[in-house]
Amino acid sequence: MGNSPVVEIDDQPGAALADARGRPLPGFYSSVAEEHRALTRDVALLDRSYVGRLSCTGEDALDLLNRLSTNELMNLETGRGTATVLTSNKGRILDVLVVLKLSDRLMVLTAPQSRKKVAEWIDFYTFVEDIVLQDVTEETAMISVAGPKAAQLLSGLDGVDVASMGRYDSTQVSIGGVDASIFRTDFVGPHAYDLLVPAADGPRLRDELSSQGDKAGLRRVGLEALEAVRVEQGVPAYGRELTEAFNPLEAGLRELISFTKGCYVGQEVVARLDTYKKVQKELVGLRWDADTAPPPGARLLLDGKQIGVVTSVVRSPRQMKAIGLGYVRKAHAKPGTVLSVELGDGLAAAEVVALPSR
Amino acid sequence: MGGNVTTTREKPKPLTISISKEAAGHVGHYAEQAGKPDAQLRVGVKGGGCSGLTYVLDLVDEPQENDMVLEEHGMKLFVDRKSYIFLAGTTLEYSGGLNGKGFVFNNPNAKTTCGCGTSFGV
Repeated sequence: MGNSPVVEIDDQPGAALADARGRPLPGFYSSVAEEHRALTRDVALLDRSYVGRLSCTGEDALDLLNRLSTNELMNLETGRGTATVLTSNKGRILDVLVVLKLSDRLMVLTAPQSRKKVAEWIDFYTFVEDIVLQDVTEETAMISVAGPKAAQLLSGLDGVDVASMGRYDSTQVSIGGVDASIFRTDFVGPHAYDLLVPAADGPRLRDELSSQGDKAGLRRVGLEALEAVRVEQGVPAYGRELTEAFNPLEAGLRELISFTKGCYVGQEVVARLDTYKKVQKELVGLRWDADTAPPPGARLLLDGKQIGVVTSVVRSPRQMKAIGLGYVRKAHAKPGTVLSVELGDGLAAAEVVALPSR
Repeated sequence: MGGNVTTTREKPKPLTISISKEAAGHVGHYAEQAGKPDAQLRVGVKGGGCSGLTYVLDLVDEPQENDMVLEEHGMKLFVDRKSYIFLAGTTLEYSGGLNGKGFVFNNPNAKTTCGCGTSFGV
C-alpha cells in the first residue's frame, strides 16, 4: 500500500509518523492535545484516505450485501446509507461496513486492513448475481471534516449545504472548483463528514478546505488524537474490538442488526444469542493511572479468574489518564467495578467506566 | 500382504447431481400446476443463508449460458458451474407425508446446516 495521495510527508517535518493503518501518516501535526480539542470542541481536518472503498454496481449488488450482513439494506434510497456488520456463518464479526447508495453505484467503506478480505468474501458468495465490485481505494482520496463545528464550517462554503444531512446521507458538492461526493458518517461521534474525490484532486481539496476553514479554526489532525477520541467515544475498531473472536451483540452493535429481515450469513446464531439471552460479554470503557496502562491483549481478572480482555489503550489528553476499551463478562461490566489487569509480571487495578468515557 | 484376495469394488460414481424418481415426479407435478408442463429444473446455490449458502430451485424453460445440463428420470437439471462445485455428489430427494420436508438436498459437501435445513456451510 502506498502513501496517502493527500498527505505530503516531506511537507510535515514536525509530524511524527504512524502507520497503524498500513500507510505512513502523521501521528500528530502540532500537538495531540490541541488536535484532540479541535476534534471534540471545534473542527478538524483529517486525511482518511486509508479507509477501504469498494464501488459496487449491478442489479443484485444491494440484495447480495443484504444477504451477507446484519442490517436491512433493501429499503435504502439513493442518497441514503447505513452501517451493517459483515458476519461469518458463526455469527462472528468480519468487519463493519458503511453502505452508501449513490446515484450510480453503491460505495462500501471497509476497515483499512480488510478491503481485500471483504472483496474476496463478496466474490466467494457471488454465483449468478449481477454485481461488479471494484476496489477504488488507491484511485480516490478521502478528506474528512469532523467536530462540533464541522457542519457550520462546511455549510458556510460556497456550493455546500450539509445542514439537512442525516447520518449516512450523501450528496454532491463543489468546493473551490473541486467536485466531491460528501458523506456524513460520524465516524467518531456526531458531525463527521467524508469528502471523496479522485486521488489527483486530493491535495487541492485539502488545501481549499485548509484555507477556507482557517478563520473558523480548522486544524489538521493526525492519528493519535483521532484514536484517543475513538476510544473515549467507545467506537469499536477493526482488529481491536471488531474481530472474529466477538459477535455484534457483544460489541454493542445491536442498532446495526435487523431481527426481522430474514436470513443472512450468521443470522441463526445472532438471533439465538439474542432470543435466549446468551450474550456473555460486553464492550466496556476502562481506566487506569497513566503509569499502569497495560498493552492491548492483557487479561482482566477478578478473584484470580479471567473475566475479560483489554482491546485498546490510549492516553486521553483530556483526562490525563490512560483509558481503553475491553470485553468483560456481563456480570462484571457495571461502571465503577474495579478489576485487576495483568501488567508485566504483576497486577494493576483497572476501573470499568461508562461510554462515552468523560 | 499375502494370499490371493479377490475383492469386488463398485465402480465409483462420477460426482454429479442426482434427482430421485420421487423428486422428479413431484417437480413434474409442480410444473403442471404452474402451467409449465415442459419446464425443467434449475438447481443452484446462492450466498446468504444462515449457514452461508442457500439452495435454489426454480422451474425454467432453458438453461443459462455456461450452465451444465444433467438428465435423470426424464427431468433435465440445469446448474451453473460455480454452484456445481458446492453441489457435486448431491442427490435431490423428496420427503413427503405430514412430517415431510418437501424437497431435500442430500449434499455430502455440507459440513453445517441451519435449523430449517435450507442453508448450509462448507
